[in-house]
Amino acid sequence: MMEILSHLPDWVWLVPMLPMFAVIINGLRVFFGLAKGDAAEPLTARLSSLAAFGGLLLLLAIDALALAQGVPGHRVLAVWFGSGNWQGTFSFLLDGLSLTMSTLTALIGWLVIRFSANYVHREAGFHRFFIVLCFFLAGMQLVLLAGNGLLAFVGWEMCGVASFLLIGYAWHRPVATGNALFVFVTNRGGDAGFLLALGFAAAWQGSFEWPVLAAGSHISVASARLVALGFVLAALAKSAQLPFTPWIARALEGPTPSSAIFYGAVMVHAGVYLLLRLEPLLLQLPDVMAGLLVLGVLTAVYAWLCGLVQSDVKSALIFATVFQVALMFIEIGLGWTTLALVHLCLHAAWRTWQFLLAPSWLAITRQRPPPPPLWLRRNQLLYTMALQRFWLDILSQKLFVQPTEAFARDVRGLEEHFIDPAIGQVGRGRPIDPERPLVLADGIPGRLLAASSEVLQRVENRLLLRGRGGTAEKLLQRAGSYLQTLENLLEQPRYLMMAVMATFVVIL
Amino acid sequence: MNAESDLPIRERLTHWVEHLTHVLPAQAPIRNFIHHNTLHGFQHLPFPEALAAAHGLTGAAVYWPDSRFHECHAAGRIRREDLVAALDDAGLADLDQLVVCTLTRSDVLLASLLENRQVPGASRFDWLARERGVDSDPVFALCRALTAALPEVAEKNDWRRLAGARWEALCQRVGGEWTLRSLLEYLTGEDVLERVRSVLQRHLAAHLDLGIAAWRNPRLELGFFAAWRACAGLDMQWELDELPNVRDEIVHLVDSPLDVLVEELSRLIPDESLWYGYLERLSLELPGWSGMFLWRDRNPARGDGTPVAMLDYLAVRVLLERMLCEDLMCRLTGAPMSFDELRAYYAASPAEFFVRDAARRQSLAEDLQAQAATLLDAENIASEQAWTTLAVAIASRQTERDALDRAWQLLCLSRQLELTPADLATLTPPDAEALLACAGSLTALQRGQIWLLAYERRYREQLFVALATNHPRQATVAAPSAQVVMCMDDREEGTRRHLEEIAPAVVTYGAVGFFGIEMYWQGLDDAEKTALCPVVVKPKHLVREVPEAGSEAAFAGHAAWREKRLRWRERLYQSTRRSPLGGTLLTALAGAPALASLVAATAAPGWFGETRQRWRQQLDGRVATELRLTAELASPATPEQPQAGFADAEQVDRIEAFLRMIGLTVNFAPLVLMFGHGSGSLNNPHLSAYDCGACSGRHGGPNARVFAAMANRPAVRQGLSERGIHIPETTWFVAAEHNTCDDGIEWYDLPCVPAPFQAALDTLVSQLGEACRAHAAERCRRLASAPERPSPWQGRQHVIGRASDFSQARPELGHATNAAAFIGRREMSRGLFLDRRVFLISYDPLSDDDGGIAEGILLAAGPVGAGIALEYYFSTVDNERFGCGSKITHNITGLFGVMEGADSDLRTGLPWQMVEIHEPMRLLVVVEQTPEVLTAILKRQPPLQQLINNAWIVLAAKSPSTAAIEFYCPRRGWLPWSGKAVLPQVARSSDWFAGEHEPLAPALLLGAAR
Repeated sequence: MMEILSHLPDWVWLVPMLPMFAVIINGLRVFFGLAKGDAAEPLTARLSSLAAFGGLLLLLAIDALALAQGVPGHRVLAVWFGSGNWQGTFSFLLDGLSLTMSTLTALIGWLVIRFSANYVHREAGFHRFFIVLCFFLAGMQLVLLAGNGLLAFVGWEMCGVASFLLIGYAWHRPVATGNALFVFVTNRGGDAGFLLALGFAAAWQGSFEWPVLAAGSHISVASARLVALGFVLAALAKSAQLPFTPWIARALEGPTPSSAIFYGAVMVHAGVYLLLRLEPLLLQLPDVMAGLLVLGVLTAVYAWLCGLVQSDVKSALIFATVFQVALMFIEIGLGWTTLALVHLCLHAAWRTWQFLLAPSWLAITRQRPPPPPLWLRRNQLLYTMALQRFWLDILSQKLFVQPTEAFARDVRGLEEHFIDPAIGQVGRGRPIDPERPLVLADGIPGRLLAASSEVLQRVENRLLLRGRGGTAEKLLQRAGSYLQTLENLLEQPRYLMMAVMATFVVIL
Repeated sequence: MNAESDLPIRERLTHWVEHLTHVLPAQAPIRNFIHHNTLHGFQHLPFPEALAAAHGLTGAAVYWPDSRFHECHAAGRIRREDLVAALDDAGLADLDQLVVCTLTRSDVLLASLLENRQVPGASRFDWLARERGVDSDPVFALCRALTAALPEVAEKNDWRRLAGARWEALCQRVGGEWTLRSLLEYLTGEDVLERVRSVLQRHLAAHLDLGIAAWRNPRLELGFFAAWRACAGLDMQWELDELPNVRDEIVHLVDSPLDVLVEELSRLIPDESLWYGYLERLSLELPGWSGMFLWRDRNPARGDGTPVAMLDYLAVRVLLERMLCEDLMCRLTGAPMSFDELRAYYAASPAEFFVRDAARRQSLAEDLQAQAATLLDAENIASEQAWTTLAVAIASRQTERDALDRAWQLLCLSRQLELTPADLATLTPPDAEALLACAGSLTALQRGQIWLLAYERRYREQLFVALATNHPRQATVAAPSAQVVMCMDDREEGTRRHLEEIAPAVVTYGAVGFFGIEMYWQGLDDAEKTALCPVVVKPKHLVREVPEAGSEAAFAGHAAWREKRLRWRERLYQSTRRSPLGGTLLTALAGAPALASLVAATAAPGWFGETRQRWRQQLDGRVATELRLTAELASPATPEQPQAGFADAEQVDRIEAFLRMIGLTVNFAPLVLMFGHGSGSLNNPHLSAYDCGACSGRHGGPNARVFAAMANRPAVRQGLSERGIHIPETTWFVAAEHNTCDDGIEWYDLPCVPAPFQAALDTLVSQLGEACRAHAAERCRRLASAPERPSPWQGRQHVIGRASDFSQARPELGHATNAAAFIGRREMSRGLFLDRRVFLISYDPLSDDDGGIAEGILLAAGPVGAGIALEYYFSTVDNERFGCGSKITHNITGLFGVMEGADSDLRTGLPWQMVEIHEPMRLLVVVEQTPEVLTAILKRQPPLQQLINNAWIVLAAKSPSTAAIEFYCPRRGWLPWSGKAVLPQVARSSDWFAGEHEPLAPALLLGAAR
């Protein structure tokens, strides 16, 4: 019995994969048009909640094992690819940090899926919602459980995509899609940091594995700092710390349960988790820690001031969330990582509850919260800044989103003015040779074809038209009749199929 | 308007603001959600005209789309005969006139209604031609030949003239249907409001906020204009948005919003006669926010003391409009200009306008649309030559399309009319034109109206058949074991039916749910008094619930504990979002319990809900209470200073009037139960929309309790018998409240019931419990997550779980099934299965010869029923504009409304979850009275004339003595109904509805007949 149990941690890949299976099955059902109407809803919801619950049970079992026998630690399950002296692996790191967070995430994920089954009932995007939610859950578990940075980055990106899709859940509302785009683009800034850090790590440390990365051994302090800064950038973006905070206030367009799990409870803490994961590395870099402390303090002040003026429940809650996450950054900056982890878990639990109960605000509260101190209350400029969210929103629009859009526009311009004409378009052809108005060509390939046809034409003229009655013509005629027969045969579907299959066999 | 234009501008603006109350949503802060006619401001117009006007003003759909009606037609919900009758009802002329050959106008119109009006676009048509060979279809070829020579087609070549005329027409719209912003948006696709909308909404929400924001604008007390301006003058957004002049202008504005408004209006649009239209249109661009602002302006006492003036809001809107539009016009044309100059600019460049217009209409073929988009997108201004080339291309393509469209329409029409190719061959092009002209003669609105009439008619026929069939089965219960008085609510139809099936000796009544007791109520735990009566009535009496003598000490403990609990809850929720230190600590403390509660509430919502309720009660402690309902003397009182309790005579007045109204004056049963209702659910901002509409969206239980307590007082009974109503000693009044969400019953003052009634009471309690369980099982049939064919017990368990499930967006379905109202004796409808669709109002025509009582009932119940039915109607036909969309993205704002997400207009009306199964129809009111009496009432009462003659509700009269039914048509008067059909007969309700999920036709219940 213990024998089997001790192999349990090797099955941990199921935790992210189970929701992924649910994504695939539900996706296929939608793709083949099997998921329609009320009758299809319970299956989608049950598959999703089963996947989440399965993951939860597995994690609880591993937790129990860890309590009894100590944490399983770093486990390499398979090698993804290798090149030279470094490799990408499917490895999982099961220690106190990841197991705690992962179990909590699984529990909250399961609760939110159960909540959504009723809440999203009969919405046009019901199945889409569950597919994306499970996709997110898979990505998040990957971030938490991954034993190396590469795998974690895959999960990191999955979370980003899922978040984009759910903010744009009501895709027919321009505000929702605009905000989804904004969030997606701002978050890419953080992703760039993550990727950069991974690149440095690969170059200098020869490995993506967390234990190696976090230890930061064998490299100079300057290099370690660069790696750390990359990850810190990623963490700041994902956890909506300054200067990235504006995205999170614009991410509230999705259904209430998705706001709860993404921005209230789970995803917003991913950045904190990343820093906790890299704790040994950070401890070697007091200047980075100090930077975290400063940013944490700034964000806390920012979120507190903005939170005071919010007049809708979800925005008020989101700034409160950012405030608490900023406190966690401060705690990490001070080196109190255990406190940060405890804070994180308790905060996630409470905020899930508070977000899910956001529609109850009318019933819960009786009076206005106490006003801020008098000196602040009277300050018109600070009030304006808080209401305008310190213009960060519009600044990041100018600094991140618009340049990206402009770049995209330039690329499109390039395509329209250079690539498209070069490739040519169907029906746009112009005669190349005025003597042969039937030969039309557009673009480089078109012109090439036209040129080759001209060469062939010349060959034909030489061989056939000039040498009338010659051997060449006879041979060609015979070959032509064979080809005719072959063509007739090929026109019948079975032979065509055979030909296609033969081609495939050759290619393979 | 002429007389008005002489008034000083200040007075004119006041008039205009007054007038805006007719067009903007009039929804109060959401805590007091009351059903009302969404188009209340148009009620002075006949229904179809009002809908047309509203459609013109807001662009909202006012009827279901044709496709929904086509589905109903295919499903048999609308029959051909209904459509034929509807054509007649709609008042169309010359229906019997021949159009071509043997086809009458009515045939052609019918065919045009049934045909799918959608003409395939260019790409789809190409596909059809390729894949389906439509092009080579001989019938289609015939159609093309017939329509090719039509004169209209050739005319459109002159695109310059067309463009000029169209531009002029669009400019005419400004100040009527459009603002300058909409015109510019149409031209460029850029919405200037979009740049400031988020911030403007934040300012509005902050100004109107009733209790979410901790920090308010320092200049709040000076009104919205001053508060906004103080911020806008400091705002860096203008610089960031490349609008640096705007800030200077704002800083140098004069202080008076009125002056700013007038100044900006005249700069924006010089023609003063258009100003009102412009303001109206401007307000309607953000209808939710404008409506809430206006509501607060009109109801200053219901706010939090912040000054709210509509003119402030309008001044800000007009100012922003002028500045932002100027900026866009400058960018568009390359030079700063005014509206008049813009008008001249495009009149002089028709090609550019023509392309912009065609691109915005989205009717271009893909390649042309792409070319147009490129030109429109161009950062630098495109050349005249480019615009002209494209305009010519578009114009020539347009001519081809038109010919094709007409041929296609003729093809569809000939299919509907079942014309053979041979028939078609006999037609001449003028015939074809006549056919098309006739088919196209109905506007989209007329089509909707005809479909609606047909849709309503089918249900009306079913209902009339049911009433006529039930007439011979009427019988009165000789010696009732109990009489139960419920609210007229359509949901209670089910409860009453099941109760009568279970206890045939019980007689039920229905009445407006405040039971004639208009009062302020202050329950034991209430901090303030609330009005429990229809929203138009201002009560002058206060009834308080106080601890019973002897339990004051228990009450003090209870109150202290309860207050402490609530204060901590408040502190927990507020400070975890607001205080830096305490919030962190509380978050840490509350994390684990919150997670445990989440697990429990998710895994077993019903159990968790009940357990929590039980614990809370145990901790709070139960206090026996009594009512302070009697005043020594009647004194002059006002709604602000209400009198404590009712004097004896006042009590007698109310009890007498109520009993006479419902026709209960003799033959009292041992027990009379007053049965109020309310609804309880979690996580539901629209909670009060499910409660009793007659009690201002609150629970009606206290009214029932007060009524029963009054009617049991010897002094009152004495007074009643002096007025001819003898309530015997052997009769006792009891009160209870029905929770329409979980079908539970809360009984009041049971310990006070004298011993002799105890046995009867026990029986009634168990019968009513059984009825509610059966009713719960019936409700389950419309709920997708309920068990299939549940037993009463399972049904009840399911609805209990639903009511305490915080993830449930549909705790109950509210009035979603409402469709009709019966005013008459219960005998008229007892024994009929009416599917919870009918408001049942008790009224005895035999004791009301002059119609005085009927008049009172119609006046009270007519507007309430119409309000509910019409709000459901409009929220259903256009949930985006009249309703508030789906609940799942709703976000409570300022404690007065909901937004979608964190940045949208304020959403008013009903959420989609409440109306998704609703069949949108006007309320059909059947009164058990003669047409003569009803005509006389109608002549006396202007409010009823407005409702009934303008067809906002549909009236019918059922004869008190025979099965005859007459139907009232405002145009043609009373029309006798003569339909025949057989009604399905079943033993019990459950036999009829078991396993069904859709709306059900009426049926005769044999078991329930007496």
